[in-house]
Amino acid sequence: MLIEKDMKLADVIHHDHNLVPVINRFGIHLGFGDKTIKTLCKINNVNQEFFLTILNAYHDHQYFPRKHLQSFPAALLIDYLKRSHRYYIDEKIPEIELFIEKLGNENDLDTETFTLLKNFFSEYKQELFNHINKEERTVYPYVKKLENAIDSGLISKELLKEMETYSITDYEKEHDDVEEKLFDLKNIIIKYLPNSENDKLYFNLLKELFELENDLNDHSRIEDLILVPKVEAMEYSLRSTRSEND
Amino acid sequence: MIDRLTVVLVEETYLVKAGVEKLLSELPGLVLSEVFDGSEKNLANKITKVKPDIVIINPDVLIINVITLINELQKKNDYILIGLCGKTTPENIKSHFSGCLNIADGKFELLKEFKTILGKRMKNVKEEKNESGISEREKTIIKEVVSGLTNQEIANKLFLSIHTVTTHRKNITNKLGIKTVSGLTVYAIMNKIVDIHEIEHK
Repeated sequence: MLIEKDMKLADVIHHDHNLVPVINRFGIHLGFGDKTIKTLCKINNVNQEFFLTILNAYHDHQYFPRKHLQSFPAALLIDYLKRSHRYYIDEKIPEIELFIEKLGNENDLDTETFTLLKNFFSEYKQELFNHINKEERTVYPYVKKLENAIDSGLISKELLKEMETYSITDYEKEHDDVEEKLFDLKNIIIKYLPNSENDKLYFNLLKELFELENDLNDHSRIEDLILVPKVEAMEYSLRSTRSEND
Repeated sequence: MIDRLTVVLVEETYLVKAGVEKLLSELPGLVLSEVFDGSEKNLANKITKVKPDIVIINPDVLIINVITLINELQKKNDYILIGLCGKTTPENIKSHFSGCLNIADGKFELLKEFKTILGKRMKNVKEEKNESGISEREKTIIKEVVSGLTNQEIANKLFLSIHTVTTHRKNITNKLGIKTVSGLTVYAIMNKIVDIHEIEHK
């Protein structure tokens, strides 16, 4: 289903409830009655075209309009990415931790297995947080500086130096490591944990992991396929204006 | 060793392409690796380069004669050639393919026909999938990986070539569905391949 501006957001959510955290990232919260996307964007001061594109790309992975997404300002993309970081840190990870704790408390796992699982997850969490930190402290500010330089036509010496020492392509690789750990965790739970009668707890934990994975995949798709090429293009254009001036 | 079959599709329209992709996704072990729209020059060579096992062709989209293309492909290798056929496709063209899928058919018939055409090759894929036990050799490798050795160090220690170790590592990942060293550690301790106290010492 292609999501369009004249649709009621309520209908869209009926169709795909996994979009709820996505609309939350734009500051739109449940309880919007029969309002259309168009109206809600106006009320909440949200860029309608960007909102629609993100919703559609999240809802249907085959619908991923690369060029169209690349046409939005980097600052807008970064704002969205940062908000999804908050969602992982403040909501998803603590929820998963809670379920893992429960596995220990409800005596479903012997202490040894429980400790293993817990340590594995906290290792994963640390890696994910480190990656997020790096993005928010180094990558995003760098991208914003590039965009400012392009918009204003002013390139500072510091920025040129930064461009020489830093390359955006380096950080793409890190996504894989974080993804692989999550993949392993799912398999450990599905295939290798000792049998338990506590079906509901296992299912809930697994559901959380799948949701997190799905969201992270969407997140890194935007970074790797939209943000990185955009930055590469900006770097290229800044370099060529500079050599023209020389 | 076959663990998957590579498919090349020659089709122009979005709707049929999407349909074939959907159909392939229902059959485990089949991977669509490239789509051509039929207007390419040297199509036979381009297809051969992909090294497919199966080539699915819509005869209507070709700018060259379909029988010429089939003959060229057959000269190169023993591909499974499948035609996407409709009511109007002449019998003398259909007969050149290994089998035909009728575009007007429903999902059930299409899948059945596909499996019939693939026949034996399909079974190979399945058998491969069923083997999941870890061999003693692989257990030894897991032990070393978990204790922190690199592939090169394992090769030296067990008098194996680095290539053999890499192959073992790949097989382990495929069989267990675990990619990272920390994941393997959890698996190894839970399955008593290593003792937790051994690891804590390191």
